[in-house]
Amino acid sequence: MRCAACGTIDPGPRTLCPHCLSDRLEAAELPGEGRLVSWTMIRRAPSRFRSEQPYAVCVVELEDGLRVTGRLRGASEELPGAMLHAVERGEGYMVFEA
Amino acid sequence: MRAGDVAVLGIGSTTFGRHGGTPIVELAARAAADALRDAGVDRQEVGALYLGNFISGPLNGQEVLAGMVADRLGLPNIPCTKVEGACASGGIAFRHAVLAIATGQCDVALVVGAETMTHAGTAEVTAALNCAMDNASDGASGLTFPGLFGMAWRVHAARYGTTRRQVSAVVRKNKRNGLLNPLAQMGAELSDEVIEQSLMISDPLQLYDCCPVSDGAAALVLVRRDRARGSGRLPIEVLASVQTRGASRIAGHSDLASFEATVSAASRAYAMGGIGPKDVDLCELHDCFSIAEVVDSEDLGLVPRGEGAAWAAEGRTAVNGEIAINPSGGLLAKGHPVGATGVSQIYEAVLQLRGQHANQVKDAEIAMTHNLGGTGVACTVSLLRRGQA
Repeated sequence: MRCAACGTIDPGPRTLCPHCLSDRLEAAELPGEGRLVSWTMIRRAPSRFRSEQPYAVCVVELEDGLRVTGRLRGASEELPGAMLHAVERGEGYMVFEA
Repeated sequence: MRAGDVAVLGIGSTTFGRHGGTPIVELAARAAADALRDAGVDRQEVGALYLGNFISGPLNGQEVLAGMVADRLGLPNIPCTKVEGACASGGIAFRHAVLAIATGQCDVALVVGAETMTHAGTAEVTAALNCAMDNASDGASGLTFPGLFGMAWRVHAARYGTTRRQVSAVVRKNKRNGLLNPLAQMGAELSDEVIEQSLMISDPLQLYDCCPVSDGAAALVLVRRDRARGSGRLPIEVLASVQTRGASRIAGHSDLASFEATVSAASRAYAMGGIGPKDVDLCELHDCFSIAEVVDSEDLGLVPRGEGAAWAAEGRTAVNGEIAINPSGGLLAKGHPVGATGVSQIYEAVLQLRGQHANQVKDAEIAMTHNLGGTGVACTVSLLRRGQA
């Protein structure tokens, strides 16, 4: 999301800009490339995700320094720092691949 | 508040573990009645009650616990307040009671922490615990709390070379400490092999790296310091009680191998107490997972950055080590009835400062407690000192 008042970029979802508290948040495309900060394979999922387990979640630092929570597809023993690119954008999170 | 204005005069606790469907309010009332007896305080003198609880709503369909506990105890018509800050609920309740006395609202306050969880199924408990997450983002991604700490572990291992075997030393130490603690749920003598062959939960986090699901309650009677004179009891002075917040989303942390809420709470607590990390004889910290103890001990300044697991492996955080960490067995062995934990940590610290603990730290004078909630969104750090009767 991008704040029309001050230009702050945020992964959202939220309705107020975390920087200036304006409510003029607009949809904005986040950078699609970033570096893996860390990941883990969830083998015991909450009930709503049980059918998908095991699946990998990750934190990624995008090119502009913004950090997002996401899913990691095709996870192996990637070390923190590996380059990733976004392949899907879900509500509240992005899906990445190496 | 000034350091030492408030003292802990009485403590009480149920065992942690399975309580076979005993209602949460009854567990809480029993712990509180024990604390009142221990303090030798007439219940009519209690001026405020603060109760820490996290998920009695979703798991028991029961709220207004603070007033219900006061009712069970026959307390006067005093303000009774439930506080919630996920796993830090108990620590926050303690801090509010300290503030109530320090600001002259009352001379005696009761702190209670309580949770019941073992009656619910794993999926129900997991879903309830996930209430501590920002469910618009982290929750939506499928993240879990073991997942958060699995990611912290990977960062710690990559940056500092921390090994599985070093982290196993944390598990072995806490489980062994729990063996002697009569309140502990899961004391055990474990081998590295058993720990490292246990079920993988969220790589590299395995089953024995995780605290159990628990029922339990703990309580404290706090008094204005001068009220402790002539009580015939050893007062344990509150040197500092600090609460901070951190990022509410995991991606908001600038470093996954550190919690900014812990770092800032610790530095403010040291300043408030007028002491430094080297003055601390023991620390009960928030080891919801083995790697959490590693990160917490570094964030609190008790262990050099990056060396938390190595210090455990070298025995330097044992009961007789340079800094005793979780001599109670911690959350890993004593158990983690979520809302009770922060109160239980003070209970354990008070026993140490009275010189009455089953895993007694020799000549313990100053204790620290650390309670962390959610994905690091809430934190309390307290410092306690043995007073004079």
